[in-house]
Amino acid sequence: MHRYIFKRLLMLIPVLLGVVFIIFFIMDLAPGDPVYMVAGDQATEEELDALREQLGLSGNIFTRYFRYVNNMLHGDFGTSFVTKRDVFKTYMERLPNTIRLASLAMIIAIVVSIPLGIIAAVHQNSLKDTASMVLSLLGLSMPNFWLGLLLILVFSLRLGWLPSGGYTGFRSIILPALTVASGLAALLTRTTRSSMLDVIRQDYLRTARSKGVTERKVINKHALCNALIPIITVFGIQFSNVLGGSALAETVFSWPGVGRLVVDAINQRDIPTVTGALVMTTMLVSIVNLVVDIVYAYVDPRIKAQYTK
Amino acid sequence: MTAEKIETTQPESTELASKKYHKRSAFVAIWNRLKKNKGAILGLFILIIVTLLAIFAPVIYSYETDVIEQNVTNRLKPPSAEHWCGTDDLGRDILARIVFGARYSLAIGVVSVIISLIFGVTFGAAAGYVGGAFEDVIMRITDIFSSIPSILMAIAIVSALGKSTFNLMVAVGVSSTPTFVRVARAAVLSVRGEEYVESARAIGMRDWKIILVHILPNCVSQIIVQATLRVAQAIIASAGLSFLGLGVPAPAPEWGSMLSAGRAYIRNSSYLTIFPGLAIMITVLSLNLIGDGLRDAIDPKLKR
Repeated sequence: MHRYIFKRLLMLIPVLLGVVFIIFFIMDLAPGDPVYMVAGDQATEEELDALREQLGLSGNIFTRYFRYVNNMLHGDFGTSFVTKRDVFKTYMERLPNTIRLASLAMIIAIVVSIPLGIIAAVHQNSLKDTASMVLSLLGLSMPNFWLGLLLILVFSLRLGWLPSGGYTGFRSIILPALTVASGLAALLTRTTRSSMLDVIRQDYLRTARSKGVTERKVINKHALCNALIPIITVFGIQFSNVLGGSALAETVFSWPGVGRLVVDAINQRDIPTVTGALVMTTMLVSIVNLVVDIVYAYVDPRIKAQYTK
Repeated sequence: MTAEKIETTQPESTELASKKYHKRSAFVAIWNRLKKNKGAILGLFILIIVTLLAIFAPVIYSYETDVIEQNVTNRLKPPSAEHWCGTDDLGRDILARIVFGARYSLAIGVVSVIISLIFGVTFGAAAGYVGGAFEDVIMRITDIFSSIPSILMAIAIVSALGKSTFNLMVAVGVSSTPTFVRVARAAVLSVRGEEYVESARAIGMRDWKIILVHILPNCVSQIIVQATLRVAQAIIASAGLSFLGLGVPAPAPEWGSMLSAGRAYIRNSSYLTIFPGLAIMITVLSLNLIGDGLRDAIDPKLKR
């Protein structure tokens, strides 16, 4: 098992180097010299050269890439063109807000979708099944930023129950979390249902039933444990979408997270912040995917057996 | 001479006819299964209506006077018999803008998926067919692309290339390419070892021709299902980018930018936000229904 974790950690290095290069390449496509943005129109050619050197903007894309990776390995993700603050520090200040939002959204999604998926599978083709499938299809088809606006309209403006934006304690996280959770809950409901349908008629469940195990225990223990593997996989894959999707939800709710940091930085053409925030978010997603794979290996004894030999 | 000619051509024509028959019967079987699926038929019906509205938008409304022209005396009028969905902050008819907006959303959804299909299927099919180090390199690059959250990558691309409808299509297309690389590779791997591929190789057919003539037509169903579902996601992604101000530039009536503009008036004129969102949801729902129906019809084993 340790070998597996070590191998996966090693594989993460080229992926992250590639990610940095792609983000670097995309940001390099932006027209205009960013140094003018920092120096202003009045700067002389010598001043511009000196500033270019100071900001790490001199040389071709490869030189700048290697310099960036070298600095990154020392924890230096550059300085914002706009706020002149350390990108790493700014990101770390915003990260807890996004983690809070993403975690609550994931909890809501699990709490709603797994029971709904189980009910749909156990009562296949019934009214309950149809209702949960229609709900999940609507959840998948609804843009989450629109749902966010509707939630603000109903719960903040009409009923006045919850704040419409900003971060002012637990009440302010409910609507953004519901917004981020909607798509994930819809997808997890469908995955849980189809995964449960796969295992629900297996022989070992018939055996359990014939031994007199209660139906509740058969579903919750025998069936769900085996159905969990695809659910965990989807959950891991979707973490990336939750972080990405939260950029829109954070904008709708003026939530001070990393998604909004990226959107604001892009609008201000603050390249170091965009690059740094994208690189760090991707690192986070990759690490979470690695953890999911390890959990996956623990949950499924067959996978665990491959690595404990 | 004539008899000889007939003798040699007959088996070929029989084979051709049987091939055509097989293709037709497979299509008929899929269609027969699809039309039993009420959801898919509903989806198809909605999509046809949305597409017809998009095509005939200039017949129903005038782009210059109803969609673009500002009419301050008519601003923020609630839904009425004259303006079914009300008017926006610049006095423009919301329904007219939604109908014209269908042109943008459908075009962006379809073109961006075509972009990702071209790159995704080319690299995915080549990786699956060639295998070895080439496959490893392609799949590692795909891994790298998929580790960046797709909406953030699309945001970065469109901000680097500049705001325009085409750049939006490229951004959404590039960010969904990894999915097609994976689907195409998996599909090619599933048929690569088949006898008909080996026979084609044995008679000296070129690799690209084998992929194009023998392998891809046998994987096309899986790719179509994925493409339909991706068009739905591309419409949501492009509306999201426009919502952030990174999509189709004003005054074009894109659904996402209409939502963004309506946000400021949500308290007293919520119809500015409700109707464009409904348009996105209904269109995406129709594509999801068709995608799900197609998947079940093409591979009934997957049907639940």
